[in-house]
Amino acid sequence: MKDATALKPLWKSERKRPARSWHLGASDLFLYAAELVVLFLIVCAIVPGWVAPYSPTMMDAAQLLQPPSVKHLLGTDYFGRDVFSLIVYGSRDSLLIGLASVIVGGLTGGILGAFSGYIGGWIDQVIMRIIEVLMTIPGILLALAIAAAIGPSLINVVLAIAAGTIPRYARVMRSQVLSVKNRAFVTASRSIGSTGFRIFRKHVLPNSLAPFLVMATIGIGTSILTGSGLSFLGLGVIKEIPDWGTVLAQGRGYLTVAWWICTFPGLAIALFVLAINIIGDRLRDKLDPRKSGA
Amino acid sequence: MKRQRFIKWATYVSLTTALTLVLAGCAAKGGEATSSTDSSAAAPAVAKPVEGGELTYALATSPDTLDPGASGFAVSHRVFRNITDSLVVQLQDGSFQPWLATEWTKSEDGKTYTFKLRQDVKFQDGTPFNAAAVKANFDHITTSARGQAKSLIGPFESAEVVDDYTIKLILSQPFEPFLSGLSSAFLGISSPQAIQQYGDQYGKHPVGTGPFKFVSWTENDEIALEKNPDYNWGPPTADNRGPSHLDKLTFKIVPEEATRIGSVQSGQLLAAEAVPPQNIAALKNDPQFQVDQAITNGTAFSLYFNLKSDIWSDIKARQAVQLAVDVDTIVKTLYLGTYDRAWSSITPGLLGYDASLENKIKPDLDKANQLLDEAGWKKGADGIREKDGKKLILRYLDGSPNREKRNDIAAIVQQQLKAIGVNVTLNITKDTSTPLKEGNFDLFGNSQVKADPDVMRSIFQSGKEYANGGTNWSNLSDPEIDKLLDLGSEESDLEKRKEAYTKIQQYLIDHAVILPIYVFPYTVAHPKTVEGLKFDLLGYPQFYDVSIHK
Repeated sequence: MKDATALKPLWKSERKRPARSWHLGASDLFLYAAELVVLFLIVCAIVPGWVAPYSPTMMDAAQLLQPPSVKHLLGTDYFGRDVFSLIVYGSRDSLLIGLASVIVGGLTGGILGAFSGYIGGWIDQVIMRIIEVLMTIPGILLALAIAAAIGPSLINVVLAIAAGTIPRYARVMRSQVLSVKNRAFVTASRSIGSTGFRIFRKHVLPNSLAPFLVMATIGIGTSILTGSGLSFLGLGVIKEIPDWGTVLAQGRGYLTVAWWICTFPGLAIALFVLAINIIGDRLRDKLDPRKSGA
Repeated sequence: MKRQRFIKWATYVSLTTALTLVLAGCAAKGGEATSSTDSSAAAPAVAKPVEGGELTYALATSPDTLDPGASGFAVSHRVFRNITDSLVVQLQDGSFQPWLATEWTKSEDGKTYTFKLRQDVKFQDGTPFNAAAVKANFDHITTSARGQAKSLIGPFESAEVVDDYTIKLILSQPFEPFLSGLSSAFLGISSPQAIQQYGDQYGKHPVGTGPFKFVSWTENDEIALEKNPDYNWGPPTADNRGPSHLDKLTFKIVPEEATRIGSVQSGQLLAAEAVPPQNIAALKNDPQFQVDQAITNGTAFSLYFNLKSDIWSDIKARQAVQLAVDVDTIVKTLYLGTYDRAWSSITPGLLGYDASLENKIKPDLDKANQLLDEAGWKKGADGIREKDGKKLILRYLDGSPNREKRNDIAAIVQQQLKAIGVNVTLNITKDTSTPLKEGNFDLFGNSQVKADPDVMRSIFQSGKEYANGGTNWSNLSDPEIDKLLDLGSEESDLEKRKEAYTKIQQYLIDHAVILPIYVFPYTVAHPKTVEGLKFDLLGYPQFYDVSIHK
């Protein structure tokens, strides 16, 4: 009882706190959760052996299609492999595909867009027409076509996904560069005799990067989704250790008898993409000059 | 300020805890998936068949053509078996009974077959069935020369009309599997009038003498057949003597496994073929449904070594693999007890099957390791064996999509062979033809449906390599085997035939040319109201006796 009275003032003072602090907590909540998820999966991808209780290739014929239990956290699949370990090990390829395709697609698209926007003229015309043609093909369709044409391998899958994302990066980069290059400080820099390249490097590029970075961050999630989709459709990489999309595809036929085989890899994909989107969202708020002041 | 920091810290901690809990909480018991209620419902007493109704039957793949003489697909056979009849019918024990032919004789030298034909049969388009019609069919097959029919007629030379209802079929050399071929729907008799009328398009407008007439074919959707009201010349294997009980028979093409089975469970369709093993148990426990399993015949699904490969032309290496692959575990794991394990190249239902091979090979890792050691393959640092700086690699070729879980067999073999230091690289591709032609593979899986052990001749005889347009996957070339295969095909003494086939089967296992894996059962799921579904020797469904109870 004494303890309770002693705590009373603390409780009271907390009630008095303005609602704003709680509001901050709520949106931070998601961010922390998202960061935690991403952090956990990055650990999984780098050192899966520390996290996974079993080897992802261990096929235990005595433990087929076991529902989730203490021994097998997320159950076992039809080979008798531990689903949790499969997800942990599968994160490596999924993350690798996501990151690599964003780097490839983002760099290509970003360079094309910046170049096109800064130089302008007929170069801009040519590049943008090509980008527009690419835009008419939905990204996933382009990825499917490329993956089917050049065959399954890690690099090919990355290229396939990256190709579909180039137009978006290029357009965002170009529009940013276009608006920045006519700003007063750029004109000022030019008036004191700076070279074109220097202006580009010192003023235009740094001031155009923000939306591009946000897009790239969210793009990681999208790319992982596309990569899993390709694997699900059998156009991904066939390896000893399956990635998430492959596990999903393998478990699909067992949905009515062993829901856990494809539910958990599906959740892993969903959770990861969600987490990346939350982080990307916050990054946008932080980088937005209108909001960051508040 | 301190408080704010505390709150921030508390949020972090509680969040971390919550997330950990969520992650760990996934361990929560997910509920029992399989109910163990035994279906003790007795099979309904055989009642008088109900007339009328439409049977909708879900096929897993689409037929290529409905011209029996031009197709090579089992699924096409399942459809046009209902449209065309054959001269003879083969019983489950392998013997033959009359069907469109009333009797037949084989000449002394085994090269001429004379058939007397039924005189009361007419085609669905009204054309009379007679010797000239049969001859027209054989002319059609030999001139267009496509599909299974071509291999089933073997050394067929010509057909000769003796009189209106007698026909002579002449072969260039004795060919024992001939009658078996004639009983297949691939050699079913089509209306000569229709063959002539439709020409190249006959495959889209089949006309025969069978219990069902062709109505329509919507590409990749459905094939509709209806009852032939005049039919009363069914084979002796059927109970029905008149027209079919069903008014309509519609084949739906539903490639997606879960959809196919789901549509039967929900009552949208009345039957579905190729039930996945994991669904068989659940359906069997459901008192409303029945799962029919029919034995198929031909070659068992086996993995064929490429004997032309550098590494695997060495018998010791192959035998090591043979001892290291635990087939029992593979079959038990993937097919959950619904498929039988195979022991020989051919299925147990075929003539000359060598039962002595059963349980002959047992997994023995020590011996497998020893064999590889003897062959000069030494374990490297990464656990993979090497010889002269070359890694011990097994290139496993398999087709996509994952039919009958064959890709999963590859995944298990890959793991099992790791134990003896073999690095299995999987090549799972839609285009198996290119690597097969170029010889860029070490192991390839295949099975064939046929009612006669002569099926082995097309798979193991030299000169029938894939590069030469044949199906000798292993590139086996052994004059002794060639001789035995020819003997099996030409010898009319049953015992001598069996002996030849026994020797071949033993050779294949002793020399580790193949790894037999499983015997495929053809499965059909349907509600118990569908009665009378039967299967022939090859596991093809027979719809003539089927009726639907309300």
